[in-house]
Amino acid sequence: MSDSIVVKTVEELKDAPEEYQAAVSKLVISHAINELYGAQVFDEPAIAYAPTPYAKWLTCRVAMEEYGHHVRFKQLGTQMGIAEDRMLPGAGKKPLSIFEFPLKNWEEFVAIKLLADLAEILQVEDLLHCTFHPLRNLARATMPEERFHAQFGEDFSAELVKTPDGKARLQAAVNEYYPYLPSFFGGSKSKNNEIFRKWKIKQRTNDEMREDYVRRATEVAAKYGLTLPEIRQAA
Amino acid sequence: MSPTVAVPGPQFFSLRADVRAASWFAALGEPLTEGDHSDAAAYATALGFNALEIGQARDWPDAERLLKAPDWAPAWWDREETLRQQLLTEAKGRYPERALWSSLTELTTEAGEVVHGKAATAAARMGNAAPASIHVAAGAASQAVYHLALARLTKQTASPFESKFRLFAAGRWPLGVLESRLVLF
Repeated sequence: MSDSIVVKTVEELKDAPEEYQAAVSKLVISHAINELYGAQVFDEPAIAYAPTPYAKWLTCRVAMEEYGHHVRFKQLGTQMGIAEDRMLPGAGKKPLSIFEFPLKNWEEFVAIKLLADLAEILQVEDLLHCTFHPLRNLARATMPEERFHAQFGEDFSAELVKTPDGKARLQAAVNEYYPYLPSFFGGSKSKNNEIFRKWKIKQRTNDEMREDYVRRATEVAAKYGLTLPEIRQAA
Repeated sequence: MSPTVAVPGPQFFSLRADVRAASWFAALGEPLTEGDHSDAAAYATALGFNALEIGQARDWPDAERLLKAPDWAPAWWDREETLRQQLLTEAKGRYPERALWSSLTELTTEAGEVVHGKAATAAARMGNAAPASIHVAAGAASQAVYHLALARLTKQTASPFESKFRLFAAGRWPLGVLESRLVLF
């Protein structure tokens, strides 16, 4: 596609082509905002719904890690010269549709950790070989925590499906939230994704990631006897 | 209404120093000292619980069993949460909201990394901890730092969040009020 470049430091980024700089900035801004939305809309409110002190403190830790991801992406963005306002919600960027629905119960949070954090894992995985090394390194630091959050979803799913009532409530939450998740991966003909791949900032097309996500989500849901509803078309 | 001022740097500087100096999780399972009893009593009284016995979890599985009990009484958690909300409202009246929020987020992120490592060390030393319990301990300790920050920013020197932090700083983990006992690990 193009001659690839490798940018090892934030300082070197200043000498990179403008298109490369703009693409990296878009990704950093998007991650900073979405991590913050996730923490504010889902993780922090979930503490109140958690059923025991064990689950409450575990949720506290997850929320703090999600806020921490926002802080890390924002710190990188600041080093890159991005204004703080652009990395906070309300900066003119529309949030992902899933963030428009306030959390209503514990089962919804478990479903989100099980399935939405899996989508987050795929997004971070795609940055593990990023040619902008500060972003690659940040993705590597974030990955173990994202995996733990998805495991949190699995562990509490395993608890909930032990009773027919718990399983029904979890399935209802999956039915409500899952349809919004495949569109996380962006449109099939995304110009941004084309640029990300041109510069090897990201590796895969949106459709490849979406297909992989649907396969992995189906597998993880099946592990707990859950089914996934039909998905909406990507934007 | 008094004009809002920037979040005070020196206050956060001293808070960070306290976080770094604390003996996070270093005394788990050790016999309780007089100081532990005194801080535990101060914490319980400040939360509005009088004449509580002080109990102790022996090891990680014991602590996990207590924290997972489905019949736990949420009164102590709810009282802390009510107090947290009051202090947060007061802090928002004193400081610019975004500066306050950023300072608290950065503080708890930094503290979270410190206490997570300390919890992992304590779990490895004692053995038999479920992997998720390290995250639970780190969640409890980070929350204690956040609570302490709110108490200090609003100048509540007799806050239960001060005595709770002292318990953590002394290497303990207050697990909560169960029946008529405040249980420490």
